[in-house]
Amino acid sequence: MKHVLLTAAAAATIATGATAQEVTLGRFFGACEEAGTDTTTSVGEACIIQSIINAADAELDGITINTLPTDWGNYYDQIKAAYAGGTPPDIHVMHRHRVPEFAGLGAIAELSGDLEAAGIDPSDWAPAALEAVSHEGGIYGVPMDFHANLWHVNMDLMAEAGLVEDGKPILPTSPEELLAQAQQFKDATGQDYLAADFAQFPIGVRLVLALMWQQDANIFTEDGTATIDTEAAANAVTAITQLFDAGLADPQLNYADSQQAFLNGEAGILVNGTWVVDFYDAQAADPDVPLSSYYAADFPTLFGTGATWADSHMWAIPASLAGEQRAAAMQVLAFINDHNIDWARTGHMAVRNSVLESDAYADLPHRDEYAGTAGIARDTPPSARYGAIQDVLNRELQAVWLTGKPVGDALADAELEVQDLLDR
Amino acid sequence: MRATRGRTLSQRQAALVLLAPFLLTYGAFLVYPFFRGIWISLHDWNLLAVAFNPDAKDFVGLRNYERVMWGRGIVWGLAAPFWQGLGLLGLAWAAVARRRLGKGTTLALGIASVLLIVLPGFHPGEGGRWYDRRFWPTVGNTIRFVAWTVPGVTLSALVLAAALNRESRAMGLLRTLFFLSQVLSVTVVTLIWQIMFSPRQGLIANVTEVLGASPITWLTNEQFAMAAIVIATIWWSLGIAMILFLAGLQDISRDIYEAAALDNARGVRAFRFVTLPNLKRTITLVVVLQIILHFQVFGQSHLMTQGGPNDTTQVLVRYIYQTGFRDSELGRASAMAVFLFVIMGAFSVIQFVLGREDAS
Repeated sequence: MKHVLLTAAAAATIATGATAQEVTLGRFFGACEEAGTDTTTSVGEACIIQSIINAADAELDGITINTLPTDWGNYYDQIKAAYAGGTPPDIHVMHRHRVPEFAGLGAIAELSGDLEAAGIDPSDWAPAALEAVSHEGGIYGVPMDFHANLWHVNMDLMAEAGLVEDGKPILPTSPEELLAQAQQFKDATGQDYLAADFAQFPIGVRLVLALMWQQDANIFTEDGTATIDTEAAANAVTAITQLFDAGLADPQLNYADSQQAFLNGEAGILVNGTWVVDFYDAQAADPDVPLSSYYAADFPTLFGTGATWADSHMWAIPASLAGEQRAAAMQVLAFINDHNIDWARTGHMAVRNSVLESDAYADLPHRDEYAGTAGIARDTPPSARYGAIQDVLNRELQAVWLTGKPVGDALADAELEVQDLLDR
Repeated sequence: MRATRGRTLSQRQAALVLLAPFLLTYGAFLVYPFFRGIWISLHDWNLLAVAFNPDAKDFVGLRNYERVMWGRGIVWGLAAPFWQGLGLLGLAWAAVARRRLGKGTTLALGIASVLLIVLPGFHPGEGGRWYDRRFWPTVGNTIRFVAWTVPGVTLSALVLAAALNRESRAMGLLRTLFFLSQVLSVTVVTLIWQIMFSPRQGLIANVTEVLGASPITWLTNEQFAMAAIVIATIWWSLGIAMILFLAGLQDISRDIYEAAALDNARGVRAFRFVTLPNLKRTITLVVVLQIILHFQVFGQSHLMTQGGPNDTTQVLVRYIYQTGFRDSELGRASAMAVFLFVIMGAFSVIQFVLGREDAS
């Protein structure tokens, strides 16, 4: 008996441990313990991505994937510390806005020579997706999505306020109309017109950025001059503060609280990203949740040009990774690339032309409601100091809406500090 | 016999052998990193760039300190009348009461007062500015946090310890309960208090709503955010101070209380005239330990408020962390860390001086 057990143990070791290539994987999106391996039914960012990873672990021969525990708020700090310590994960997710920093230092690998062998066809990527992972002529990752800010709408409340036409919400086309519609909404429903996280996470920053881009302005130029203390920025900020001043929105809600307010039917509109569309859709179907009629609208154009804040998630591997380990990591990236349609279920926009043109993609819930978002997606010019710059804007804008700092002072201070960062 | 003697170690050698594991660990994990930190603070040192290319650092001397703590056109004057006035008062008191206070205390008070007069006086003159506009406000927030937390912990722990200093099963249970929060990690503590403070689901909001008031958005309101993290910290770090006070209380002989009772000193009077004087050393120890501990506050600010709103709860260690890891500027971050070390070192010296005075 003992002999049989030992043989079985030895066989198991040979079958799994000895030949399996372990790939470590770093990601944010949150934890999902019960994701399973069915990539077609999971719901929400965390479970969808984990089900894809679990499926890759099960289906790719000779590869086991170890998902490292990380946390959203400190993700990049952890990744940087891992790189600095010489132990980065074999593959990790990142945003396009971090490419200049990581690729510029030579931390992440240039992949154009590896893609074909792994079965990834970059010509299938939408042009904007290829641009998102490109840096100085090289390809530094495999793109996974575009994500952008949307206006998530409670259609029942909007109908009560007379702001629905042909099954679509009537959204403002100017700052004046925004105020008028918000007032009309409050008078009819008694609830806040708009909610968003203005207090912690930089959703408010992204709102102001979008309104600046809508006026063809930006926070700094490609050559590194801060342009924040401008009329366009002041217009953008006051378009929002007029709602706070009139008591039509609450600036003190954070991410969880603003989302809760929306789901509870205490706000007509929630400004948040594409990543919650399937979650809100599921919530609206739940009879216990007050939100019952949900619509995902493109970010409205309040000034001349359409624009909304957008970014991209992508997967990268460390430049130091070589040989079999690199080939194994590329196989995992190819697997994720193949499951682009599953990831799009979150609400994010797909990056592969073959997926974008498919019926399965067009049939995803609410997809037709925000079809215009891909065309108005924008971001700030590339900078290795993206995180710090966003933090400056977040602080100064919070000072405006949470502590009553005059808009002009806040914008002047923000310009000074961003210029300091750009000059460093 | 001779062989045995050959293997015997002298007392000195034995001490060295026994101390070696500690000394090696201490040297490798405390002394070396400390000097390495100072060395890094003298460089323009990008965390990632140096990791990939060890030559990517530049020696810049004290420029990181200048960039963090100094500015353009900085002048000295009566910029903070309250604090500078307080410093003058302290200096006057030290001069008047130097006999009663003792040498060490007078010296400490004198130095603290001079610093209070000199340091807040620096400010940017006409057209000037601090190079780093966040550093000194962040130091101010950290001091404010310490100034609220330390008396809060000390007073509540003292009251609890006095109330629970009785031998009964219920008191034992309560002591355990009050100590329990201490064993939780900062993540758990901040999670509990984030739920408590939530204006939608929080216990506090429910209570205020029952009382007919609108709920306070604790963590995102400029007036309440610092109070919120102070309250969470007091709840968290009450336990160890309470245990120290209990130990101190049990050291006080019952005879003194009996003698005091004969002189008609019971209850509050006994507490004032017997308990407090006998607890002086414990109080000093608790206060200094708490000051050193709470200057290093990080988790509560990082997890509950992310330093906001508008930087009102941004503290020094969080700023060091952000500068070092988010911005990759290890040199600047190390310069700030050295500054923090100097502050904590000063309080350690104060504790040393006061401890010696008590002993003598």
